[in-house]
Amino acid sequence: MLEDLNIIGSQSTPTIQSDWQGGRLYMCGDSYPENSYELFGQVINWTETFLGDASHGLHLELELVYLNTSSVKAMMDIFDLLEDAHQGGRTVSVTWRYDTRNERIAELAEEFREDCTFPFDITPQQAQA
Amino acid sequence: MNLLTLRENYLKQRIMLCFNGPISRSLIEEIGNALRNYLNTQEAAPSSAMDVFSVYIEMTQNIRHYAGRQGYDDEQATATVAVARDDEGHYLVSAGNLVELEDGKALVETVENLAGLDAVELKKAYKQQLRRPREEEHSGAGLGLLDMARKSTRPLQASIEPLPSGRGFFSLTATI
Repeated sequence: MLEDLNIIGSQSTPTIQSDWQGGRLYMCGDSYPENSYELFGQVINWTETFLGDASHGLHLELELVYLNTSSVKAMMDIFDLLEDAHQGGRTVSVTWRYDTRNERIAELAEEFREDCTFPFDITPQQAQA
Repeated sequence: MNLLTLRENYLKQRIMLCFNGPISRSLIEEIGNALRNYLNTQEAAPSSAMDVFSVYIEMTQNIRHYAGRQGYDDEQATATVAVARDDEGHYLVSAGNLVELEDGKALVETVENLAGLDAVELKKAYKQQLRRPREEEHSGAGLGLLDMARKSTRPLQASIEPLPSGRGFFSLTATI
């Protein structure tokens, strides 16, 4: 078992929390670091190790708002890991919640979903006043 | 220095925000933040505001990455960035930087080739580029350029001006 991630977000980086026991990975906020691999390398590593060592399912909960292309590339790596695990019979799923005023993030999520065959919900949420 | 002339120039060209100088990681974030706030007060459609911000980030980060790869010092690693509006209310996001002349010419050619692609072809090229291994990222049309081309309502415009130093000044404009 790998230690869980608990990364506090900043203006340009998302909050990232993992829960090995509960089979959950959560990310929220903006993601546009100059070098996304420095940040996402550890998330990719956690996901890969979880899918390799644990036997229970993994649910990815996303409330990401904006991603630069370098973060998009890192997210694609994570979705590819989930897709491989799904093909191998593991239970994996994604829920991506977005503010209804921001249709761009829904479009981005939709483009990721096109390449995935596991359950992938893109859930609009009414903005909080 | 005549600031009034500068100001009048900005107003005439409808420049909302402009920066010229050495560009650091934190400066990109701070200007980006100012840009977002400004777009909010202008009541820009959230999707347009997002596109302007996104193109600004890709342009400035491309400049930082290029300067880093070239090993440019602070003076050479400068950027000129401007966000303006045109007569039809479109946002124009422009950025320029010093480049090796040959690199600049190749970039202009890449941008010109992108102009011939429609939305479906751009999406295909973007997804292909996304799947290239990281070490090959700098070959072909970069992911950032393809992303900007997809967000721009008109083809991206690029130019390269040779400078006395032997280098060139590369400029790129996206229309949102």
